[in-house]
Amino acid sequence: MAGIWIYSEDIILAKELVTPAKELAKQAGQKVGAIALDAEGAKELAALGVTKVIVLQSSSSWVEAYEQVVADVLQEEGADIVLIGGTIRGKYTAAKAAARLDAGLLTDAVKVMLENNKLIAERFVYGGLAVTTEELSFPAFVTIPPRSYEIMTAESEQGEVIVKEVTAEPGITVVDVIKTQQQGVDISKADRVIGIGRGVEKLEDLTMIQALADAAGAEVGCTRPICEELKWMPIDRYIGISGQVIKGSLYIAVGTSGQIQHVAGIRDSKVIVAINTNEKEPIFTASDYGIVGDYADIVPALTEALQNAKA
Amino acid sequence: MQNILVCYKWILNEQEIKIDPNTLSLDTSRAKKRISEYDKNAIELAAQIVEAQGGSSIAISYGGADVKQSLKDALARGPERAIWVNDPNSDKADAYVTANALAAAVRQAGDYSMILCADTSADASNQQVPLRLAVLLGIPAITCVIKLDVEGEKVIATRRVGDTTEKISVEGPAVFTVLPEIAQPRFPTVKQVLAAGRKPQLELKVDDLGLESEKLTPKRTLREIKGYTMSRKNIVYKEGTPAEIAAQLVNNLIKEGVI
Ligand SMILES: Cc1cc2nc3c(=O)[nH]c(=O)nc-3n(C[C@H](O)[C@H](O)[C@H](O)COP(=O)(O)OP(=O)(O)OC[C@H]3O[C@@H](n4cnc5c(N)ncnc54)[C@H](O)[C@@H]3O)c2cc1C
Ligand SMILES: Nc1ncnc2c1ncn2[C@@H]1O[C@H](COP(=O)(O)O)[C@@H](O)[C@H]1O
Repeated sequence: MAGIWIYSEDIILAKELVTPAKELAKQAGQKVGAIALDAEGAKELAALGVTKVIVLQSSSSWVEAYEQVVADVLQEEGADIVLIGGTIRGKYTAAKAAARLDAGLLTDAVKVMLENNKLIAERFVYGGLAVTTEELSFPAFVTIPPRSYEIMTAESEQGEVIVKEVTAEPGITVVDVIKTQQQGVDISKADRVIGIGRGVEKLEDLTMIQALADAAGAEVGCTRPICEELKWMPIDRYIGISGQVIKGSLYIAVGTSGQIQHVAGIRDSKVIVAINTNEKEPIFTASDYGIVGDYADIVPALTEALQNAKA
Repeated sequence: MQNILVCYKWILNEQEIKIDPNTLSLDTSRAKKRISEYDKNAIELAAQIVEAQGGSSIAISYGGADVKQSLKDALARGPERAIWVNDPNSDKADAYVTANALAAAVRQAGDYSMILCADTSADASNQQVPLRLAVLLGIPAITCVIKLDVEGEKVIATRRVGDTTEKISVEGPAVFTVLPEIAQPRFPTVKQVLAAGRKPQLELKVDDLGLESEKLTPKRTLREIKGYTMSRKNIVYKEGTPAEIAAQLVNNLIKEGVI
């Protein structure tokens, strides 16, 4: 079945992808097909009006190992456009499957369109500094980040589900898998966020930051190096082009320089405040209110002012 | 002993690109090129493995004529040799073409035990060149590696995939893409820079790689590139005691309705 195909190892994301896939299918006068890894999820996709859902079943638990089979199915079916869920594992599958089919792939598209038998997508480059419009001829692969689309309501017409037994040989051995405990807060949903950067000198100062967050009714997030280099906060707390994107009413940047890769994750906030000792840093251009000063002086003063305002 | 190939991309420093607020066009005239940020971490990892276990590392970059300028910087960071794949049309290349050219160069480079890349380039952020390379070479690929332990023939890679940490064991050559925390890039010393000038550099012309023209024709066409701008109030407080500044700010935040 030529047409628009979707694949994600994450069933929620797969359901999100049905939304843009149907939009494209309508324009192209074609059908939507899907590849799924479990039969239950496949039924849900079929209920959303996906015409044909192929379930790949194998004994491999390493999702990446399915890339070859995914590529084979897409080739057999003659897929024109393939939308893949942009998780880490999804991007792995997308790049390998596209390579196997000698096809182009646009990663992390923020918008997809169809024009004269070409797939057109918008995406960010240079860490979020610029947006490109890029085009691919068919077969065209694109990955779409999670939570880009709403899931539609189920349709009256149900698609068919076909189960395929396959072998997925990864060529590697998974020795160990450890799931880290989720820390509870999802900062991408927080309305107010305090974001700390490498300018915060010591771990103990997080107490001072937390006091500010409490006074502002905010969650604490950070820049990438705070998680990766200093390991002060869990990885899901860093904000930016490769981390979380926040869209709340207030963001207060404490000791962050404001490199574009970080700013790309905060620029949809309503009001941005910066506290930084160096007036020349780009974070001041990205802010509504900037305070030139040492966070060690400013943060406690701001906490107190917020407490007074509430009292 | 490890023979490591490490791939790096020579790209514009995005911090030096200016956006025209009216046309949203990008002014790159004052932007210098540099090694893509996280590729430095991959080069460092290669150097550390070789220092600990012996062997050698070769840096490889595909690009246009200006990649020549990058070789010394790359070599100062550890590799024994550098290969530069020169393609006059590289400015139009996509991940497909890049991977085809790199794969052809790798085949000429001789035996290797692993290929190191960063997880993403800082300009295009394709997150696909290393994976395509692995497919073309017919070897496994492990992405998002935060730790790499070489145990004889076996390599144990620790990956970070969202909230999951996975340990993967691989035997034989493989492509690994690294996250920045794997190794902190060094600041080359004067001695290392001087030594770099004496290390061998090899230029491979893309036309000499024996690739069909199809493999050098990009799948992707760039239609348009536009700067992303936002307007902010840019009010800056410099004068006054912290308490005075904080009070003024809180007043404004109340007026904005965000507190
Ligand atoms: C491909 C790629 C993707 C990336 N993705 C992301 C991402 O998603 N998110 C992200 O955050 N980064 C990302 N980065 C990294 C990004 O480029 C920056 O390196 C990072 O955001 C800088 O973090 P920082 O502001 O904490 O540190 P720095 O840049 O070191 O800034 C520290 C700041 O603290 C200030 N300061 C110092 N002392 C004080 C004091 N006492 N009081 C107040 N201020 C002080 C300094 O003036 C400085 O501005 C990415 C990079 C690349 C190449
Ligand atoms: N032109 C290139 N030359 C050498 N290596 C490259 C090139 N482009 C990408 N790579 C490698 O592939 C990684 C990921 O790039 P990308 O797929 O563009 O995100 C980079 O970090 C490099 O290690």
